[in-house]
Amino acid sequence: MTNSLADHLRALPDQELAALLQQRPDLVVPVPSDLAALALRAQSRVSVARVLDSLDRFTLQVLDAARLTRDAAADTTSLDVILAMAAANARPPDPAAVREAVRLLRSRLLLYGPDERLHVVGGIDEISPYPAGLGRPAAELDSRAAALCADPAKLRRTLLSAPPSARAILDRLAAGPPVGSVPPGALQAPPLGAEDALPPDPTNGGAPTGSPVRWLVDHRLLVSVTTGGGGRPGTVELPREVGLLLRRDTGPLGPMPTDPPEVASPPREPKAVDSAGAGQTMEVVRQAEALLEQLAAEPASVLRSGGLGVRDLRRLARALGLDEPTAALLLEAAHAAGLTGELEAPGLAAPRTGGDQQVLPSTGYEAWRAGSLAQRWEQLARAWLTMTRQPGLVGQRDDRDRPITVLSPEAERAGTPIARQAALGVLADLEPATAPTPDEVLELLDWRAPRRSRGREAAHREVLTEAATLGVTGLGALTSYGRLLLTDATAGEQRGADDPLGLHVDGEPSTAVRALDGLLPAPVDHFLVQADLTVVVPGPADPTLAAELDVVAEHESAGGASVHRVTPASVRRALDAGYSADDLHGLFARRSRTPVPQGLTYLVDDVARRHGGLRVGATGAYLRSDDEALLGEVLADRRLEVLALRRLAPTVLVTPGPVNRMLATLREAGYAPVPEDATGAAVLTRPRTRRAPARPPGTAARIVDPVTAPRLPMPRLLGMVEQIRRGDAATRAAQRAPASLRGQEGAGAAHRHTDALAVLQQAVRDKALVWVGYVDAHGATASRLVRPVSIGAGYLRAEDERTEMLHTFALHRVAAAVLAD
Amino acid sequence: MSGGPLIVQSDKTLLLEIEHPDSQACRLAIAPFAELERSPEHVHTYRLTPLGLWNARAAGHDAEGVVNALITYSRYPVPHALLVDVAETMDRYGRLQLINDPAHGLVLRAVDRVVLIEVAKSKKLAGMLGAKLDDDTIAVHPSERGRLKQALLKLGWPAEDLAGYVNGEAHPIELAEAGGDGGKPWTLRSYQREAVEAFWAGGSGVVVLPCGAGKTLVGAAAMAEAKATTLILVTNTVAGRQWKRELVARTSLTEAEIGEYSGERKEIRPVTIATYQVLTSRRGGAFTHLDLFGARDWGLVVYDEVHLLPAPIFRFTADLQARRRLGLTATLVREDGREGDVFSLIGPKRYDAPWKDIEQQGWIAPARCTEVRVTLTEAERMAYAMAEAEERYRMAATTRTKLPVVKALLDRHPGEQTLVIGGYIDQLHQLGEYLDAPIVQGSTTNRERERLFDAFRSGELRTLVISKVGNFSIDLPEAAVAVQVSGTFGSRQEEAQRLGRVLRPKADGRQAHFYTVVSRDTIDTEYAAHRQRFLAEQGYAYTIVDADDVLGPSLPSVD
Repeated sequence: MTNSLADHLRALPDQELAALLQQRPDLVVPVPSDLAALALRAQSRVSVARVLDSLDRFTLQVLDAARLTRDAAADTTSLDVILAMAAANARPPDPAAVREAVRLLRSRLLLYGPDERLHVVGGIDEISPYPAGLGRPAAELDSRAAALCADPAKLRRTLLSAPPSARAILDRLAAGPPVGSVPPGALQAPPLGAEDALPPDPTNGGAPTGSPVRWLVDHRLLVSVTTGGGGRPGTVELPREVGLLLRRDTGPLGPMPTDPPEVASPPREPKAVDSAGAGQTMEVVRQAEALLEQLAAEPASVLRSGGLGVRDLRRLARALGLDEPTAALLLEAAHAAGLTGELEAPGLAAPRTGGDQQVLPSTGYEAWRAGSLAQRWEQLARAWLTMTRQPGLVGQRDDRDRPITVLSPEAERAGTPIARQAALGVLADLEPATAPTPDEVLELLDWRAPRRSRGREAAHREVLTEAATLGVTGLGALTSYGRLLLTDATAGEQRGADDPLGLHVDGEPSTAVRALDGLLPAPVDHFLVQADLTVVVPGPADPTLAAELDVVAEHESAGGASVHRVTPASVRRALDAGYSADDLHGLFARRSRTPVPQGLTYLVDDVARRHGGLRVGATGAYLRSDDEALLGEVLADRRLEVLALRRLAPTVLVTPGPVNRMLATLREAGYAPVPEDATGAAVLTRPRTRRAPARPPGTAARIVDPVTAPRLPMPRLLGMVEQIRRGDAATRAAQRAPASLRGQEGAGAAHRHTDALAVLQQAVRDKALVWVGYVDAHGATASRLVRPVSIGAGYLRAEDERTEMLHTFALHRVAAAVLAD
Repeated sequence: MSGGPLIVQSDKTLLLEIEHPDSQACRLAIAPFAELERSPEHVHTYRLTPLGLWNARAAGHDAEGVVNALITYSRYPVPHALLVDVAETMDRYGRLQLINDPAHGLVLRAVDRVVLIEVAKSKKLAGMLGAKLDDDTIAVHPSERGRLKQALLKLGWPAEDLAGYVNGEAHPIELAEAGGDGGKPWTLRSYQREAVEAFWAGGSGVVVLPCGAGKTLVGAAAMAEAKATTLILVTNTVAGRQWKRELVARTSLTEAEIGEYSGERKEIRPVTIATYQVLTSRRGGAFTHLDLFGARDWGLVVYDEVHLLPAPIFRFTADLQARRRLGLTATLVREDGREGDVFSLIGPKRYDAPWKDIEQQGWIAPARCTEVRVTLTEAERMAYAMAEAEERYRMAATTRTKLPVVKALLDRHPGEQTLVIGGYIDQLHQLGEYLDAPIVQGSTTNRERERLFDAFRSGELRTLVISKVGNFSIDLPEAAVAVQVSGTFGSRQEEAQRLGRVLRPKADGRQAHFYTVVSRDTIDTEYAAHRQRFLAEQGYAYTIVDADDVLGPSLPSVD
């Protein structure tokens, strides 16, 4: 076989060989040494599976036909036979399409040889053992079944006599795959004399017949492959002949549509699609920004197992008014786009377990925020397109029934970028603005690459929802800029290598960005002020305008426009931030397209009037007196300049220095000040005499007789006794390591190792004490009495009660284990 | 980008720019499904709510139309998610239908069986649903119709009520537009006509019109449309008499056909006017006057000032779902936040017009709102600073410093009919003495009240001081100036009513003045800000002046 393929390759002209390699580029990585190696590689399981994955359903069906029509002896088939089989179909496909499919299969080197002696390349049977979902020929399975199949009339009779429940099983197996597993015992004959004890079988006509599978196996319509064909125990297979007979209505290969299924959904207006999508992009960028701002205000802790806690996600979602899946998607996409990162939590080790890392907006976020709307969207959408994460898994449970959290390693799926490419690719290949339903997309995917899309329906559905959320699609159809994003992403891998950080802010904007820019509204640098003190920015606010409004007004509603409200509190905030009342009047007058309402002007003035009516400052000490003249004198006194006195009020002076210094300086200058406390009461001071701190008297307070030692209370004594006894028992036990642990060498070692595992597993469950014999790092054998805690990842973790330490033993070093008595 | 007048926000508010040439068309397009929330001078805010969207569905609009209106008029791309949300919300309406089954009476029928199964399992509906007739139908007791609709609305699966209305006992009522009894000929105003038509087409619902815009006439026209016995529920006896007067003047009804059911009289006639008070009065824990609802086969129930509808009446209304119901109000704002109950029990909002629009058409008087800030004297400031928290508002609102300011304001409008409105009786007495004007308060007898009102109406009396009792439904056609000195904290509803006092159109199209006197730097200012915001949201620009500016020129300088 190998030789013949190699021969075939050898006979090919260079041009065709090159064309072949173009079709299967994986064959030349690395370049094979000779054609025999190339042939070998072309038949390898991985390579064949890869090329099969890329084929559509019709081509695969033609390939199945080729495999089914193989001549048993020469192992070849011919184009005519394949055409004949296709024509036997209930709705035969166009022969030209079949020929085209055969040509395609040849170009991919799945078939080779001349038309009349077509070879099927090896390796396929390994990958899919049942062509077209049909079982092996009866001859390969069981001689008695073969005998039945050799007699068509008898086969037909037997089939017709099958009870309904058995027939249902046959129909299911005939639809493929042709093997099924049966519950243990279903194939065994009922014990002798116990036939009457079987429950009556109403579907099979009342008489007890045992299970329908047993009926089928007894009548040779199914073959048990338990011992023969290498199947797992309790497996039955439907012989090919029976399967073909059952499929006589549809043809051996089932329905064979040559073209992908039609999309029945009506096309949308391309403009409407773009518009809905663009609206969604604005929305999603705004939401992502709000999400990250929220994260910045209140960072979320990383769980020990990775990812953010369910509660954090819920909090973020609620704060933004989003549902959790959307919040999870935005977080994942933002993370993939490099907008968030982990940072050590500030301060001491967090009191919460594992919460020493926090997720925060990263420095990339600043750069992102500076970009235009379209650029920001592109960065998010591109990250989403290529990230190997499946946000749809968040909230579901993993194999160990633990919830999958957002940003956790469990939501990592290597296949997601391909799934996205595939699902969006389907949309991209349709006419622009066609909006197929998700079911139609799945059908198309199933036709285009059945091997790849089977079992990934859920992932594909998620892709479609996520694409709608991100505005890649609008009204269910791919948007024009979404299409460009897709082509950019496939073409732009090279650029990705040039710009590993993904920050092509200063570079040329991509075509998708330019297309989206045209759809998005231009930033607005003015607003409308109304009498109810709302400020409406009728469009996306220009960054400087947005910054100004952030200070002077409260944010009320966002979207296409943004609505802010001026309140006394917001005006005060602006005044605190350094705006003066005139600045605010100027700001409103400059930015507003409408006359500023009198109410707003009045509000600003009114708040400004009261702003600063109270003053707060820090001071070291004050000096007050009812005698203003005296204070004037103090202030004018040049000897007191060191105090840097300041007059706060006619009767109050302050100094930044401490009270003592002020007192001393004043007294020195001949004044007579009196200190006062917080309540205003005079504090009388007297010069303090310096004293060292007190020391305890040197001798003991009472005499202790060493003979009449302190009396210990009884419970404490009992505790000590118990402790001693336990220590004793442990020591003795340690000396008594059972004999079975010693002398592990010899023939039974491997066996003992298996036993030891069983003993340990049991001991983990029972929490029992076990003697463990093991080989230490130096090859010496040792034994230890421990209480196993867990077994996993090749290690035994066990507790030594004597030392109260947790030990870890490599399982392969454990030679024996015996339960301690 | 279409450059339209509408901006769609993520929080489902819609901003409509008024100066845009398409704004009027856009307003008409979005009015059926979006609630007008604020209408200041430049940008009106509408909100998309599930309730509003379902009301639109009930009125025959579909999701496609709503989405189309949003896209057509939106200036910027509309987010896809919002469009999807709108379509999904609207799709929830009408999965269940309340219909009259010829065999089983009122039934809940499922268009979508899964929804019926879901709601039937809900604990909130326990006891409302009867026997299961088949997979898609569950019997409903007619008396549970209102409660069931309310509960389904809360579950998010509003039912389409196709069970219809009973016609009630027929009674001929015509509008006397020719001006019977020697009155002048008149016609319904265009917006009144629209309101009645919208109500009648919808069957039941609420009409929102500003005070002075002629809500009574909308009620009368609805009665003329129904031509059936009518129960009218009003806030108090004076308002009831007002209704009676208006009905006798404007319709073919005579005094003998209109009954008054109040604390004083208990008449049940083809058209009966009852007060909320008498209906909610209890004796021994039981509502004694509930029989009124069953006393006749009413064909129409009119709720005046529906925003004040007391909670017990809500419960009775739930039993009246087979009768046509008309709610009338100036504002749907309820301080208790039970707007949703009004919608589900009385009916959705059927008609609403921005006040400013009606004003521009000349149907209500243009008003100028002014806030006058009074600076407290040092002594008053001190007293205020020391006051207990719960006393502060009273202290600030009733400060004596306000008296000369009120007087100065009145002096600015010599010869105008003026109302001085306050919330504290002591203060009103002070004002009454200071201004030499009579006071109408809770303890004033109905007879005295009507005498004063008549005198005021005829122009004999220029100034009237009224307490909270005057807040509702008194008709003082020529009040041109109102000065409010204190109020119920920051109640927006009260503000709307008080402003309404001066909005009735003046014979010569004069401008009305609405003054609020507040104490500077006190909690009074904060409450005033709350009320001002409401005024601004209704489109009334207001100015703030200092009391010194008011007093300044007229006050002789004192050394």
